[in-house]
Amino acid sequence: MRNYENLVIVKPTLTAEEIQESLKAIQEVITSNSGEIAATDDMGMRKLAYPIDKNERGFFQVIYYSAEPSVITEIERKFRLNEELLRFVTIKYDTNREITAWNELVKKAQKKAEAPKAEEKVAEAPKAEETAPEAPKAEETAPVAK
Amino acid sequence: MAERRKYKKRYCKYCEAKVDFIDYKDVAGLRFSLSERYKIMPRRLTGNCKRHQDMVATVIKRARAAALVPYTVTRKAVVVAPFENLR
Repeated sequence: MRNYENLVIVKPTLTAEEIQESLKAIQEVITSNSGEIAATDDMGMRKLAYPIDKNERGFFQVIYYSAEPSVITEIERKFRLNEELLRFVTIKYDTNREITAWNELVKKAQKKAEAPKAEEKVAEAPKAEETAPEAPKAEETAPVAK
Repeated sequence: MAERRKYKKRYCKYCEAKVDFIDYKDVAGLRFSLSERYKIMPRRLTGNCKRHQDMVATVIKRARAAALVPYTVTRKAVVVAPFENLR
């Protein structure tokens, strides 16, 4: 088993439900090929740096998973057949250094996924958390404005 | 010249921060090694060491494939603040 990461961009013309459905279908492609999904990370609707098939935006999702190296060609073939998928990028995490980075990325993604769930459980406490993750985001975008 | 002066102190920023791995999704971090036209900046201007320059180059190419960073910026196809996350 080797660690991989897939970034998928789904068509923006679909409704929110359809996007979730197609993302599920994408994840099923991986699981049906005996891949184990470690975490998923929604980057949300973003503007593309350049138009792809005349689309200016796309819904980004990152899927972290581990699978056999031989399966990847099959997964990529299935992705190419999918017309709702604008673009995908498969990245291999092979060396020790990359694997530790992968583990950290997975942890980050899991935390991000758990955060909104925690907010639902407790009404008041997570509000402080809510503002906390937004602050670093603002910092990230700030140097961009230069 | 102005650009060269900006990079006068030559040391590897990534070595100083002890970066082992660069994530291609962290676009704001890549901005340092990109020119105004989103070309990869040469090592002689940024001062990156060879090891980190190689990492940066592959990471930028990945980000380009993922439509996070534009391939080219021309007068015809101007990218207005591509790093800003429009909703």
